[in-house]
Amino acid sequence: MKEDKGGKWSSDLVLDLYSNLLAEIWELVSALIGEAILAFLFTLAIQKLGEKYPFLASMNVSEDGIKLDGVREDCRAVAPIEIHRGFQSLINQLSHLFSALAEGVINKELFPKVFPKVKEADRIISQK
Amino acid sequence: MRLIFKNLNVLRSTINAISTSIEIKEIVESAGTNLPNLFDFSSFGVFWKEDLLLFLYQEESCPPSFTHEVVKNMVKVFSMLGDESVSAERVTLQVEKRKLRPKQMMMDSEASLKSHLTLPLTVEGEILGCISLNSDQPNAFDAQDLQFLSVIGYQMAATLKHFQRFSSIKNIAIYDTLTGLHNRRYFEERLAVDAQKAFYGGTPLSLVMVDIDLFKKVNDTFGHTEGDQVLCQISSLLKSSVRKKDTLARYGGEEFILILPEAGLEESFIIAERIRRLVESTPLEVGGAQVNLTLSMGISNFPSHRAKSKEELVKMADQALYEAKRGGRNKVCIFTGKSSQWTVPT
Repeated sequence: MKEDKGGKWSSDLVLDLYSNLLAEIWELVSALIGEAILAFLFTLAIQKLGEKYPFLASMNVSEDGIKLDGVREDCRAVAPIEIHRGFQSLINQLSHLFSALAEGVINKELFPKVFPKVKEADRIISQK
Repeated sequence: MRLIFKNLNVLRSTINAISTSIEIKEIVESAGTNLPNLFDFSSFGVFWKEDLLLFLYQEESCPPSFTHEVVKNMVKVFSMLGDESVSAERVTLQVEKRKLRPKQMMMDSEASLKSHLTLPLTVEGEILGCISLNSDQPNAFDAQDLQFLSVIGYQMAATLKHFQRFSSIKNIAIYDTLTGLHNRRYFEERLAVDAQKAFYGGTPLSLVMVDIDLFKKVNDTFGHTEGDQVLCQISSLLKSSVRKKDTLARYGGEEFILILPEAGLEESFIIAERIRRLVESTPLEVGGAQVNLTLSMGISNFPSHRAKSKEELVKMADQALYEAKRGGRNKVCIFTGKSSQWTVPT
């Protein structure tokens, strides 16, 4: 992980971190439920959080995956901690949806591989 | 490895059965017949948003409380995924019970929903409904079950989308786009069925041809847009005056036609007169003003007029309508053979 000159996490670095995390979630969950359903769930989760974290609405979600290019533009003026909170809420919202649909089946696959990284990201960013 | 191949074969035949289904019930039945070879479940459900229909294919020994829990859970999950909240009371439930388990594994009368897999049926980002596998056993499903169910869900969603498209094409084919009444094409098809029933079964059948008097004047005075509004208003009046079993269609322009199955001459005349009086006494909104229009109608009937074909029956009604026009309009005439009459038949 890289820090900027001031010793703080820049928006771009936080976005890189979550871009990788979301890509991992996508790869894992799409193998279980398919791209179309997963894209639908991502869109739904983003819609639910759109009011609180408007920058999430710029995420490009399709059956091909997720692209954060639009978010990068929108996040220039957003504090890195706010970006971090937004993405963390998104991951929580997705986890909630997965649990409502398949109880523990998806999260059981997801938790060991992805959630330690989410926690790690939370720890690193909160420390700064 | 052999088990995976076996499962893939079952999955293939399930998908094939779904894709060749022609109605939602058939989808559920094809899936229901194949699914026990893939999963161990107590109940399999398909919820279709468009008609608020929930089909359940379940183990014979499923107690009602279990069914209730499944319905509640599916509606809850769907409401969470969809853009509207659905209440379980509004859902029409269709349950098909089958023997899915050996006798010694029958469900307890107190059995409750312990695990489920529910997936949305989505096509191009639109949610059409959801499917669900349910069990009275805890942790009954694993990741492979989820993968298989999602493949089945994809095929179901695609097939349901075809149904939806087909049904809207069917609507375009049988309804008149302006008035929302059936169109002439549907009338011809319906008449063929009703006439055959009447001719071979000996039951009465009446036709009423309806024409708006001096409609051209409305178009010439107020323009075609207002004329269209008048057609819609009169269509609504006609719609409200016919019986459930009757067929009402726009025959063309300002002409309408009614098929009255099992209606003798007297009953047809009463219905037609009721319509005539209703339209005559209802002021219609035309270009900010209120106008009263009238209708002329011609009636033909089987067996009274001894028509030998449906075409002849239509011709007779048309001739009676002509007599109504010739007799001064705002009249109901019954076909008489030479010149039609407009008195109540005795």
